[in-house]
Amino acid sequence: MSQVKKVVVAAVCAALGIVLPMAFHSIPNAGATWLPMHIPVMISGLVAGPVAGAATGVLAPVLSGLLTGMPPAPMLPPMTCELLVYGLVSGLLSRVVRTGSTTADLYISLVGAMLAGRVVNGVLRALIFSAGAYSLEAWLTASFVTAIAGIVLQLAVVVPIVVSLERAGLVPPRYPDPKE
Amino acid sequence: MRSLAGYVWVDSPLHRMGAGPKLVGLLACALLVVLATTPLELLAVSAGVCALVAVSRVGWHAAGRAAWGLRWFLLMVLAMNALFFSDADPLVSLGPAHLTPAGLAQGARVVVRTLLVVVLGTLLTATTRPQELVDGVRRLLRPLGRLGLPTEAAALAVGVTVQFVPTLLRESRQLMRAQEIRCGGVASHGIVRRAVSYVRLLVPIFVSAMRRADELSCAMEARGYRIDRPRAADTTGEGKRYQ
Repeated sequence: MSQVKKVVVAAVCAALGIVLPMAFHSIPNAGATWLPMHIPVMISGLVAGPVAGAATGVLAPVLSGLLTGMPPAPMLPPMTCELLVYGLVSGLLSRVVRTGSTTADLYISLVGAMLAGRVVNGVLRALIFSAGAYSLEAWLTASFVTAIAGIVLQLAVVVPIVVSLERAGLVPPRYPDPKE
Repeated sequence: MRSLAGYVWVDSPLHRMGAGPKLVGLLACALLVVLATTPLELLAVSAGVCALVAVSRVGWHAAGRAAWGLRWFLLMVLAMNALFFSDADPLVSLGPAHLTPAGLAQGARVVVRTLLVVVLGTLLTATTRPQELVDGVRRLLRPLGRLGLPTEAAALAVGVTVQFVPTLLRESRQLMRAQEIRCGGVASHGIVRRAVSYVRLLVPIFVSAMRRADELSCAMEARGYRIDRPRAADTTGEGKRYQ
């Protein structure tokens, strides 16, 4: 994938990271429950690499905050760091993990990124953003209980979307057919 | 779902102002909104934002369209704050929920702040063409380029993102309408069915968006655009249009 396409893919995924939460905002507490902004960030990392994923992770929340007021300013720094890690780690793992199966590669990269982002978010909140006022219980609740619907949604849709993009010829296949 | 306002074709002082100063102004205004805490301060900032809308001549309807799209979310934020922010001097109590004056005030503060930031963001996109925004970001980031940061790529990414938001909103609405025709109105369903309806739309939305990304990057490369090669126009300080 060329550098120009990587930048454009990162930007389009960032635009989706602004658009999808706006659609989900008609559902009560959808942001924290369904995590709609996470999906395009992880897809950007998986299809365009770690730098594009990280760029999407920064652009989506910052521009969404400026253009739509969501996420609110106090939530913006930790959320930006968390999304940056999602994009970065999904891209890095996608580049490194090679099991021979596209689906397995993508799921390993996705789950690794989901865990890494949540761990970094918890550490940053505990040490910097909510120092002294953040507990392990609060992290577990926010990361794995409130967000359970979002986790299931990500596991259900991210990999099929990336596979669909490969089949549509819009991103390069991980394992090109040697006959072609 | 409502769109952010796209560019509104009128002539106003805000339209004539450079994108760089507008971006800096947006950041400064957003900071003022966040720092405003008392009702008087919020009223003063609100009056300033209303004055900006009047000066921009984009119209109240266009300026408030994105904010109107968030009405249910903002109502929920108001209700959550009003009921759970405090339990001191409750007006009404129902189990763990306490409707308090302090909660109502906090909810109103959050809602007003969010509305103001949304209107400011809408004003930026309504008075600035995407290419002007790219040039503005490029100029603002130019000092960071001396540190080796890829400012050209960053400016391009910001411009494409802002340009694609209204386009993707329009396409998402079209896909939702197509689904409504097939399966009935999404908005009339319960919360779970509405969420499932949105999830079903994700694959076509992503495929459509990526197709547009593919077409745009092919068009840019066909015109000789390269991230790592400064364009002739850049040496004169003028951003060359890539479209």
